[in-house]
Amino acid sequence: MTERKLKRPEVLAPAGTLEKLKTAIHYGADAVYIGGDAYGLRSRAGNFSFEEMEEGVAFANKYNAKVYVAANMVTHEGNEEGAGEFFKKLRDIGISAVIVSDPALIEICALEAPGLEIHLSTQASATNAETLKFWQNEGLERVVLAREVSMEELAEIRRNTDVQIEAFIHGAMCISYSGRCTLSNHMSMRDANRGGCSQSCRWKYELFDMPFAQEHRSLTENGDVTEEFSMSAVDMSMIEHIPDLIENGVDSLKIEGRMKSIHYVSTVANVYKAAVDSYISDPENYVCKQEWIDELWKVAQRELSTGFYYHVPTENEQLFGPRRKIPVYKFIGEVLSYDEASGIATVRQRNHFRVGDEIEFYGPNFHHFEQTVTEMKNDEGEMIDRAPNPMMIITMPVAQPVKPGDMIRKKKD
Amino acid sequence: MIELIATAESIAQAEDLFAAGVDTLYIGEEEFGLRLPHSFSRDEQKALIEMAHAQGKKVNVAVNGIMHPDKMKKIPEYLTFLAEVKPDHVVVGDTGVIYLLQEYDLPYIYDAETLVTNARQINFWQKKGAVGAVLAREVPFEEMQQLRQYVDVPVEVLVYGATCIHQSKRPLLDNYFNYTKQGEETSKERGLFISEPKKADTHYSIYEDQHGTHIFADNDLNLIQELAELAQAGYQTWKLDGLFTPGADFTAIARVFAEAKEAIEKGTWNEAEAIRAQQEIQKYHPVGRGMDTGFYHLDPTAIK
Repeated sequence: MTERKLKRPEVLAPAGTLEKLKTAIHYGADAVYIGGDAYGLRSRAGNFSFEEMEEGVAFANKYNAKVYVAANMVTHEGNEEGAGEFFKKLRDIGISAVIVSDPALIEICALEAPGLEIHLSTQASATNAETLKFWQNEGLERVVLAREVSMEELAEIRRNTDVQIEAFIHGAMCISYSGRCTLSNHMSMRDANRGGCSQSCRWKYELFDMPFAQEHRSLTENGDVTEEFSMSAVDMSMIEHIPDLIENGVDSLKIEGRMKSIHYVSTVANVYKAAVDSYISDPENYVCKQEWIDELWKVAQRELSTGFYYHVPTENEQLFGPRRKIPVYKFIGEVLSYDEASGIATVRQRNHFRVGDEIEFYGPNFHHFEQTVTEMKNDEGEMIDRAPNPMMIITMPVAQPVKPGDMIRKKKD
Repeated sequence: MIELIATAESIAQAEDLFAAGVDTLYIGEEEFGLRLPHSFSRDEQKALIEMAHAQGKKVNVAVNGIMHPDKMKKIPEYLTFLAEVKPDHVVVGDTGVIYLLQEYDLPYIYDAETLVTNARQINFWQKKGAVGAVLAREVPFEEMQQLRQYVDVPVEVLVYGATCIHQSKRPLLDNYFNYTKQGEETSKERGLFISEPKKADTHYSIYEDQHGTHIFADNDLNLIQELAELAQAGYQTWKLDGLFTPGADFTAIARVFAEAKEAIEKGTWNEAEAIRAQQEIQKYHPVGRGMDTGFYHLDPTAIK
């Protein structure tokens, strides 16, 4: 039997804060992307100071993981000031790459911070091999494909280029070609390409025509039709298609969501890490496990689809009408320590829970179990029947051994 | 020297536009160009270019779509055709097309719509062969003034017509009508609009074609009163977009702009003229479509 040599793609997770960075890496992300104080597209996501970046890089280095910085704003006049110093600083801190779409910033970075890798952001809507070749000639190491690229197109692009390819595999998607939407600018005076996006594409609209150019005739309230017009779509999950992504030579599997919680980041990174490891170690006998899919649904905010990979999204992948109910889980705590002799875990509360609740523990490498909360003590050793205070420290007996960094969630009633 | 560029919907209209004082036609075919009033055949493109050149006028051809691989495969054949018929420029937004253009003797103008907002971007594309760029509609005049100082190539600005503010690959209207089972037509000709939540009087045009779904700003742009200031600031390449202004009305509006251009060049343009021109445009502008100055007068700091 000939051994097939598959290239293991990295699992790239979002990290809005230092805590999320550590969590993502602890849960298996090979790389994380973060935002700096400037030049990014998520002005409202947590962004990193240089000190936090240093700490993040030091942490990542211990795990042999990489840290990228998204600097993907489309600059207006003057916004680029200081970018050279910024990129130099990132390089010196040990950031592995910057994710950029604006050629002004690309040029500044290439000239002023040589040695810092540049990845083309999805904001540049790269949809063909020629675009990848262009940027490769400019010295870029990697291109993030537009989310509108199908699997067949991706395979073709791969065959025709050898620059690294990064592709989105999970999370929310822009409704437009990224970068080619200024709904937010025009409707909310917030610049979509400079971190201000008001997500106007998620709103509900009235749709109408104007016969005789005057009369306003609604199509959204028309006879039996009462559904408003919306562009909003379900989110993406490629968990069932990991083999396709790996076989087609994707170098980096990107998870969206720098604004998402540590519950989300830990869960999603954990699942994709497990799936990628599983396929790489034994592609012939690989099966996509139902428990991975179930796990992703526990943090899903919308229904899930495969984006543009296998067909152009239809009405079934848009948010019309009543939606399927998604079970909602809340993140209730994290394990700080565990005493093996007594089977008692020390837990930091992150959301209200009480004795009698059915809870679920999960940790890196897809370690899972469920149990009922039988008893709890506060940090003074007093028995309590509920844990109402944010960040309060409690101790509780657990059904199986746990480790610091394991998380606890609970299904919402 | 101010250059007045206009879209065209037919050969007959193109002739009228030249007669009205337009310097350059902006045309193309739907397969490769974005949001054009008409898709001209190869023969028509050739004829238009010959006609223009015979009059000492120019033609720019739109090749500014976002090209997926299947479309990209057809680009070399199209560029070969264009290199033979020699339009004055091609207008390009996809970096992949720019990559291919290295092999052709076709000067290009960079037009990536929303993504052209900074002098350094334009300078970058100039180094990659661009001989001009089209400015994003979301740049206020105050920023335009700064930008102009750092750019050597002509920077084109839209002075009349619709502003595209969203291009999705998704068939957003078809999807909606499939869901509601209305089976409606979704092309530009259908004349659909959307209005913002709780702003019933807003009307954003929306339609689908092979490039996806396109949404346009609430009001069409009209910078007739700002022309003198634009020219003064070094913006002397003006585009008129007739996507939503058909036939003779568009030609009549183009004539108003051509007269304004001439008056500005002669130094006879004044406020009274500008007001008269504004009224004239209003007469021919489609009923039911609003006009304003877009982002022009906005304070840059007002945009968060």
